[in-house]
Amino acid sequence: MLLQQLVNGLMLGSTYSLIAIGYALIFGVLGLVHLAHGEVFMMGALIGLQIVLWLHAGPAVALVGALLGTAALGVLIELTAFRPIRARNGPIFAPMVSTIGVGLILQEVATKAFGGEQVGFPHRLEPLTWRLGPVTISSVQLLILGTALVLMLALHLWVTRTRMGMAMRASAESTLTARLLGISTDRVILVTFAVASALAGAAGVLVGLSFNAISPFMGIDMGVKGLAIMLLGGLGNIYGAMVGGLLLGAIEVLSVAYLASSYRDAFVFGVMILILLFRPQGLFGVGQVR
Amino acid sequence: MVSHGKFARFALAVLTLSALALGVAGPASAQAKIGVLMPLSGKGASYGAHQQVAIKMFQDKGGALNLVVYDTRGENTDAINLTRKLIGSDHVVAIVGPLFSGESEVTFPVAVQGKTPIITPTSAKPGIAAANRPWAFRNALTSDKLDGALVEKWLAANPGVKKVVILVDTKDAVSKSDGGIVLPAALKDRGVTVIDSISFQTGDIDYSAQVTKAKSLNPDGLVVAALYNEGANVVRELRKQGLTQPIVAGLGIMDPRFIELAGPAAEGVMTVNDFWTDNPDPAVARWVAEYKQRSPTPPSNAAALMYDTLDIVRACVEKSGVSGKPDDLEKDRERMRDCLSRVKDYKAPVTGSTTFNADGDALRQPVVLVVRKGKFESVR
Repeated sequence: MLLQQLVNGLMLGSTYSLIAIGYALIFGVLGLVHLAHGEVFMMGALIGLQIVLWLHAGPAVALVGALLGTAALGVLIELTAFRPIRARNGPIFAPMVSTIGVGLILQEVATKAFGGEQVGFPHRLEPLTWRLGPVTISSVQLLILGTALVLMLALHLWVTRTRMGMAMRASAESTLTARLLGISTDRVILVTFAVASALAGAAGVLVGLSFNAISPFMGIDMGVKGLAIMLLGGLGNIYGAMVGGLLLGAIEVLSVAYLASSYRDAFVFGVMILILLFRPQGLFGVGQVR
Repeated sequence: MVSHGKFARFALAVLTLSALALGVAGPASAQAKIGVLMPLSGKGASYGAHQQVAIKMFQDKGGALNLVVYDTRGENTDAINLTRKLIGSDHVVAIVGPLFSGESEVTFPVAVQGKTPIITPTSAKPGIAAANRPWAFRNALTSDKLDGALVEKWLAANPGVKKVVILVDTKDAVSKSDGGIVLPAALKDRGVTVIDSISFQTGDIDYSAQVTKAKSLNPDGLVVAALYNEGANVVRELRKQGLTQPIVAGLGIMDPRFIELAGPAAEGVMTVNDFWTDNPDPAVARWVAEYKQRSPTPPSNAAALMYDTLDIVRACVEKSGVSGKPDDLEKDRERMRDCLSRVKDYKAPVTGSTTFNADGDALRQPVVLVVRKGKFESVR
């Protein structure tokens, strides 16, 4: 059973990672938390579902569509909820409050457009399953794992090997210095939002495919967990978010398996508090916490 | 009671929602207002949507009631606030609703305090109406009246079942009582061992860990106590992970959405209720046919019970001498209460002969159902 539970945890954890990376990217360049990120994840799932329903497409098309759709949504959120406040030198935490508003608007819009009901992908997308000894693995699980790994690898290469990635890291270190060096920080921020949101959108489709429980409210809990994982991994550290997500997924699943399942979230957050007590900078955070 | 004007102003601050205001002229009794509480959004919106169709259908078939409808979103706090509003500022003579046992558990005492009869069409957790005499009623069979028959038939169909695992939603009141107390008792009485009870919560999306745990315990049968969304996802996950054991589910899954969400995995799942869509009884078939003309989805038991509850309430409004005058409010509420407590062998239009017992709970013939070819079918 342990092996199967670890597979379960890996699946859940890799979607957590994708969400947490988005938080980390945005926190990295802006030093702010994007509180509508869970709703971007939810929109990803809904966009993917609509593509499947209207175009009769497969999961791959849904995934690409959701990536593009949520990237655009991320850009829109930066342009409406973050940039105007930054341009007017508003209070540092004002954008966080405005993203709470964005999150509520997205929830309401999704409820009006698609209803408050929980929906799932059509049964024709029912996954194939393989039994490898004691472990059952489905095609959807392979898709989740494959997508998550490819996206994380792509992100790593983008951040470390491209000029844009370099510009992003420079902006994360110091926006002011980056700007003095001739980097268009506004453009960097825009791209960061697009990438972060696209990852959340992909996670939305993956969660929708594997758990079949898509609703306008699915982003609330996921958003909180992604945020917690970002903290756990080290503020703004994308590798911390990757590992933190997998770790939390595994802890959550194991707590259900060996402890009372009603307390899974309490247990997950308990572990998180414990880790932060001993390592306030998070698992992969460096130096002093600001 | 608080001054009404003040309360009305205060209540404006409370969430107000679409009211099917039907100011119909007619006899004085038609002016008596009846409150309705149901979930039109959030948790259980599908049940609520069904009930809305049933209400519309009931109103159209003549003898319309003067209804004040509010959306509880399936939330206990909303249900309490709206009950207070119905009693204190809308001056209703009776309340129909709320839908969930959790909501009923907290709103019934409010109705008792406000000396207003309240009748839920659906809540099935045992003991809730009994604790709130003499004002609370339920036009639903409590799960202890249903589960005995269900377990009996399930075991007859699957004689090999000796040990089971229960998967239970511990956040939903009726599922928690069903999976934690009522079903285990019914199973134990028939010599079946419950190996373990594994919990999840309303709104969870990942059930893989629970299902893997159930699989490792190697039971002969599986028991699911949940509402339709969660129940469907649990059943899907069970089949996905290769558990092929027979499944029996509490009455919470009884909604067409269950089959829609679970798909092929729903096949063979057994449950119990007092209404099902494909009942060949001519009166029920006629009602279902008419319902289908108004709704893209077939009716659920929530709709049937709402329709019948309104019918019972209308009979009481007409026969118990309710005047509908503001000065008579207290008297009218007592008249409604007395009339409801005397419901005996009432010929309800959909679910048939109905009696309310001394606890305020309905007595009717339960039907054990099984999902076959994407439909609920009765088990003979």
